[in-house]
Amino acid sequence: MEVLVSKGFVVLAQNNKNGDYIRQAYALALSIKSTQIDVTNISLVTNNRVPKKYKAVFDKIIPIPWNDDAKNTQWKIENRWKLYHASPYYETIVLDADMLLLEDISTWWTYCANFDIRFCSKITNYKLENVIDTVHRKTFVANNLSNVYHALHYFKKSKKVAEFYKILEFVVSNWELCYGKFAPLEYQNWLSMDVACAVAIELAGVRDIIDTNSPLQFTHMKSPIQGWTINPESWQDMVPHHLTSNGKLVVGNIAQDKLFHYVEKNFVTDTLLTELEELANVK
Amino acid sequence: MKTVGAVIFAQNNSSIDYVKLAIFAANRVKTILNIPVSVITDCADWMLSAYPKESTVFDQIIEIEYASTTNQKRFNDGTLSSKFLEWKNLDRNSVYDLTPYDRTLVIDSDYVINSTLLLGALESDHNFQIYKDSRSLSSWRDNTEFERINQYSIPFYWATTFIFEKTPEVKSFFDVISYIKSNWQYFRTLYSIEVATFRNDFAFSIAIHLMNAKTSGIFAQELPGKMLYISDRDLLISIKDGKMKFLIEKENHLGEYTAVSLNDTDVHIMNKLSLTRFIDGGSGV
Repeated sequence: MEVLVSKGFVVLAQNNKNGDYIRQAYALALSIKSTQIDVTNISLVTNNRVPKKYKAVFDKIIPIPWNDDAKNTQWKIENRWKLYHASPYYETIVLDADMLLLEDISTWWTYCANFDIRFCSKITNYKLENVIDTVHRKTFVANNLSNVYHALHYFKKSKKVAEFYKILEFVVSNWELCYGKFAPLEYQNWLSMDVACAVAIELAGVRDIIDTNSPLQFTHMKSPIQGWTINPESWQDMVPHHLTSNGKLVVGNIAQDKLFHYVEKNFVTDTLLTELEELANVK
Repeated sequence: MKTVGAVIFAQNNSSIDYVKLAIFAANRVKTILNIPVSVITDCADWMLSAYPKESTVFDQIIEIEYASTTNQKRFNDGTLSSKFLEWKNLDRNSVYDLTPYDRTLVIDSDYVINSTLLLGALESDHNFQIYKDSRSLSSWRDNTEFERINQYSIPFYWATTFIFEKTPEVKSFFDVISYIKSNWQYFRTLYSIEVATFRNDFAFSIAIHLMNAKTSGIFAQELPGKMLYISDRDLLISIKDGKMKFLIEKENHLGEYTAVSLNDTDVHIMNKLSLTRFIDGGSGV
């Protein structure tokens, strides 16, 4: 029987026509290596080819279990429920590929260790203002769903969590039926993991897996929630950003904390990647 | 034993007698907060000759060098009257060195103390306290300019009223303000500030941001409550027995006002001309 390493991060990345998510996962892994004190393990779940240089920063590169359910889709999310099964860790924090960790989050691990599973439900904008996204999340509001973000969540290998992921698998596989039952208002006619998780929470009756005391939080860079009077196509057109030599990411002159969800694919430039490599001491 | 007191700046221009405002403000501080008040002024001799008796309200008169300035801004006096006047605001960073007190309340001369609210803040352990949140007595005006220095940037803090204790950290803060002032064009570009004129509120906001390592830190504690203010397009009617009466400009009705009264509340009265009229004759209208 395989002995599980105690803690680690897991990221799923599948390239599509528009985006190199493996490259983003590599940037995330570099940020983890350079900022985390206790937990620096990160595994990549993918069926894509991973460049040799990138492989060095991942502990494991794990094929997507049970075939690729997103083979024919553009927004490749159909495999995300499999992360529970793919994770090689006893305790896992799941992150989206287009994120960077900017500070040590040991306290998150300590907090989450008290529970089997915890989802993030809080975001800030780059001004570090807590925001509730009512622009993209109309169905959450209309149907009183838990304001859950799959992009950041924690789980432990346990019977309870396995049950939850079984339900999540069901919702992902039957999302139209489930949305019709649990999210009929402001109906969202595409599959998203956040709505699927919110519906799974309703089905499982486990609303307590998000809580107001949880430290899980990230900066979300979708333009409409930045508190601007205009809604630009790209947030990068509105505010400058740079990574300092000691790893501070400064956006609009405001140093970002903890976890940064940059959203836009062109954020990871060659320059940024080189800077992250230097910070992580990866040649 | 730690000394505690208030400091008010008074630098006159051609139309506004800031010394008169400072004397009025100092009397209220002494009466209501019961702490000594000193004035920092560039016209001490004139003050002593113009207000020989009234100047005795001050614990100390601290003279700074007179300097002419090209800083000008529009001073409104209600909705229908305004003038461009000289605006001297470049010495606020020197208050750390000039104050005679260990713990100092600094107020603008148009900040009218009308409650004991700040006494608790003077007695607290925090080394630097300032207002971030504010509220206009006008319910319809867009006040977002007082929430952030602009919509893309950092939180706005009011240099109108603050309390500080002399500590190395607080000294660093004032040093940072001096640095910002010396390099104002650089900092205003960096923080996307449109107006070229140096403004203490912006310099304080930037300095607090830097003291917080460019993130949301705890260097500056917020003073209790919110800073209430009237714009210079509003008018003060009167202040009597803790009751203040104002005329607040109506939306879309130039020259028309709504009467508002407040009890036992400190108010920043931006209409200095109206405040002066009240001090002179008992009515600011």
